[in-house]
Amino acid sequence: MSETSSELDAQGTELSRGDVLKRAGAAAFAVSMFGALPDKALGFYGPLRYQHKQLAGELKILQWAHFVPSYDQWLDNTYVKQWGEKNDVEVKIDHINNALLFSTASSEVAAQSGHDLYQFISPPSSFQKQVLPLNDIVQEVTKKVGPMSRVGLRSTYNPRTKAFFGFPDNYAPDPVQYRRSILAEADVNLRTWEDVRKGAPKLKQAGHPVGLGMSNEIDSNMMLISLLYCHGGFLQDEDNKIVLNTGSSRKGAIEALELMRDIYRNGMSDEIFAWTAASNNQAFLAGRLSMTLNAISIARSAESSGNTGLSDDTWLASIPRGPVTRLGNEHVMGVYVIWRFAKNKEAAKKFLVDQQLGYREHFTRSLYYNFPAWTGAIKGGFKAIREMTKQDTHKPRGKYTILTTIAEKYTTNVGHPGNSNAVIDEIFNRYLIPQMFAQVAQGKTTPADAVRDLDREAKTIFRKWRNAGLV
Amino acid sequence: MAAEPLRAVRRKLPTYLVVAPFAIVLAFPFYWMLVTMFKEDLDLYNAQNVPYVFNPLQWKFWESATTKHIEFLFEDTQYTNWLVNTAIVGVVVVAITLVFALPAGYALARLSGSWGQTAGIGIFLVYLIPPTLLFLPLSPVVARLGLQNSLLSLILVYPSFTIPFATWLLMGFFKTIPQELEDAALVDGCSRIQALLRIVFPVSLPGILTVVIFAFSLCVNEFIYAFTFISSSENRTISSGVPNELIRGDVFFWQSLMAATLIPSIVLALLYNSFLDRFIKGFTGGAFR
Amino acid sequence: MLENRRVLAPLLIAPAVIFIGLVVGVPFCWAIYLSMTDAIGGSLSGNWVGFDNFTTAWSDANFQKALRNTLIITFASQAIVLVGAAVLSHYLIRDFRGKWFLRLLIILPWAAPVALGTLGWLWIFDSLFSVINWTLGHALGVVDPSDPPQWLGRPNLALLSVIMVQAWRVLPFAVIIFLAGLASIPTEVDDASQIDGATGIKKLLYVTLPLQLPIALVALLFGIVFTAADFAVVYVLTQGGPFNSTQMLTTWSFQIGVNSGSLGAGAAISLFLFPLLAVVSIAMLFFARRAQVS
Repeated sequence: MSETSSELDAQGTELSRGDVLKRAGAAAFAVSMFGALPDKALGFYGPLRYQHKQLAGELKILQWAHFVPSYDQWLDNTYVKQWGEKNDVEVKIDHINNALLFSTASSEVAAQSGHDLYQFISPPSSFQKQVLPLNDIVQEVTKKVGPMSRVGLRSTYNPRTKAFFGFPDNYAPDPVQYRRSILAEADVNLRTWEDVRKGAPKLKQAGHPVGLGMSNEIDSNMMLISLLYCHGGFLQDEDNKIVLNTGSSRKGAIEALELMRDIYRNGMSDEIFAWTAASNNQAFLAGRLSMTLNAISIARSAESSGNTGLSDDTWLASIPRGPVTRLGNEHVMGVYVIWRFAKNKEAAKKFLVDQQLGYREHFTRSLYYNFPAWTGAIKGGFKAIREMTKQDTHKPRGKYTILTTIAEKYTTNVGHPGNSNAVIDEIFNRYLIPQMFAQVAQGKTTPADAVRDLDREAKTIFRKWRNAGLV
Repeated sequence: MAAEPLRAVRRKLPTYLVVAPFAIVLAFPFYWMLVTMFKEDLDLYNAQNVPYVFNPLQWKFWESATTKHIEFLFEDTQYTNWLVNTAIVGVVVVAITLVFALPAGYALARLSGSWGQTAGIGIFLVYLIPPTLLFLPLSPVVARLGLQNSLLSLILVYPSFTIPFATWLLMGFFKTIPQELEDAALVDGCSRIQALLRIVFPVSLPGILTVVIFAFSLCVNEFIYAFTFISSSENRTISSGVPNELIRGDVFFWQSLMAATLIPSIVLALLYNSFLDRFIKGFTGGAFR
Repeated sequence: MLENRRVLAPLLIAPAVIFIGLVVGVPFCWAIYLSMTDAIGGSLSGNWVGFDNFTTAWSDANFQKALRNTLIITFASQAIVLVGAAVLSHYLIRDFRGKWFLRLLIILPWAAPVALGTLGWLWIFDSLFSVINWTLGHALGVVDPSDPPQWLGRPNLALLSVIMVQAWRVLPFAVIIFLAGLASIPTEVDDASQIDGATGIKKLLYVTLPLQLPIALVALLFGIVFTAADFAVVYVLTQGGPFNSTQMLTTWSFQIGVNSGSLGAGAAISLFLFPLLAVVSIAMLFFARRAQVS
């Protein structure tokens, strides 16, 4: 879309397109045929210069396609190249759509071959047995910059095996994004979920409903799990036992379900059951929604669309407070794993350490989407981060500073107060929580029954993973 | 004399009345793609706008439209590579399919007698095994052969569903060719293999064309293997490259997605349409005269 | 020696059989083995559990729904395809002005790669920007524009949407098969029916349709396989939602086997599809042979 991006891309792909298009059929055939050769022939990252140092070799990384294309372009064409040259490693980095991270990972594990470093955007607890424990590099980084954030710890540590199955690299807080003028006109505020419940019908009447999805997609998943926290409805306790249908958790979950059913019936329409991850973005950017929960991709898209009327009116806020607490999930938890079959484990480890220690530029280049898992990785911690976010020039000035507050105080891992283990992973990937909310909202089941059913299902899943020795 | 064309139209009217609505309903999504791919963001993401035209509505409608999404597709993604890769895989796999399926189909149709029918059904049953079951067990095979991330992995695996399909189709076609033709050739002194090459294959050209078209379309449509075996952008086919790069997190590049779909669809439809006449003519002409 | 049928036949069939045996047979056997273990998380081995995965799947409500959906979606969409293709091919076999172009339009849905064409439909059914809803709401006033039908959000509508998309993409394929069948009807039959005075509708019902039966069965069979074993349409449109109401066996096995990490269970679910299709195929092939006019 921008000149720089096409320039940079042309640089990297020039040889490949040239090879394939300019040469005749047979040659083109040959080039794309032989497995490893295209990588050398296409020479993306240049030939190795120092052949005989300790880390010489190749490092293959796979991660998601970041929603900020310029971040990926900087990463691919500048950062990894520079790191590669400094460490005498040829780095190759591939990006795939986040929806297919799991199936591609499964196939690499099945094949026992693939990339060295694999990044997930949610803790990949089900792959624990296939990866190297990373306690050593976690300790190395902690020694240098201090302890990692709670969300990082709970997302990657397995208390039963006492191992870090993944290296937490970054997380994205999940703020509320809302249209200030619309809310002001309707005289609605978002301090508590009760306020949201009361305000939803008013906003719907004004033609700008709230956007709280109950679909099988990540935004709904994160928001609804956070809603449960705010009401004290926890899936598991500190020791990772399933407690949804007991005591205060049960009460909280039922309250949350009733709240959403209320908001849907009086303040939203059927569309929220058919959302993709992009739907709330698109609805907000079309000027329709008055508020939604999402990572800052919405605010940033508004800015880049050129619609200043909309983007100046888009403010950020922390998640509304519930009767028990104010707490939200990370929207994305970037966790890297090193497969046991990785060919260049040493380089992989060094890459992860170096990347975290130098996280400042990743933070700014990702337009504040990626917060470092070790807050101390950016010198000065949250204070410094707050100063950085103040620098953003988009109106209203300083709107991104709330992101720091959210990251510091109101962001936790999925599965709070326990760990993001394989049980939580499966519940998350199967969208069991949005399904529960949707069924209650559509009147297909009562809140009490829904909670009981989910609890039962969760316990079955727990038994399965306990038998596998992972929880 | 003036009544002649009128009568012709009246006779043809029912035809148009039936065919036209079908054509409109079937092709409507493509008209939709055609309009969408030129739309500006502000136009597209406005639910109040009339979706069938470019807004703001004006005489010079092209001024409300843009080609930047198409430029994005061709310049900032590996789309051209994907098109070429898809074509390469399609052509090579079809060739491999014919090499294996032609003799097998012929043998099953002519030479195998009673167990031919059972073998034919058996081959078809192989086609029923879904890729969602096989893609994981196939991964280590692909890896061990060093074909991970290479088009060769697809070229190896795709014939696993095109060959059963093609063998079965060809078996059917060969059966419709009268035995007399071959017997005549044998009487004239040809060996079986010569009869096969000189008489049977040319006459079954429509059948072979059908198999080519269907096998090619199976390859282009395939999605699961294409996605799991190839992870580098430049080596992907369109079925895996387009959803992978034009959907980033929660941002869909709809206009480019529509363009990416429309282009191969039109090309393939034109191709198939031209072949269609040929192989229908082959049915009515050819061996039955 | 090559003239000998007994030698030539196996020789010609062998390459195909060997290839299939290696590339399909071996992984298939492995998949069967996997379905009887509790393998998880992408690894290719686990503890033996016998038929547990199959019995657990069978008693799971979601599986039963997936099975039901597979049948409903397949038969509903193919019924539409069959009727549509029979009618359409009857008229397309003739010559008329604009035939080439109209035929091009009809072929388009099948020419589009299924994953991409379905993405187009995802946009057409979008929760906010659906062109169908715009037309129904703003243009025709049939539905309330602020609360239009959610084609992918309500279970019944979502199922209907999947059926429509499947019918849409398979119809051209069936038309082509029917055209080939019609074109191969010997001209003597045409002449005979003309002499007997059967034209138009009568001809359609008493001559054409019966002769088309074998080819119709073939088209139906392929259509059934294309739809029942399809993964892309449901995966792209609904991912099996809303709340698992549009899962098919293929997508459900993917959900369980890959997204939930229960590989063995996923393989077992996938394996249910195979005997289902096999039974249907064998039955139809049997009827097709019986119906063939020699």
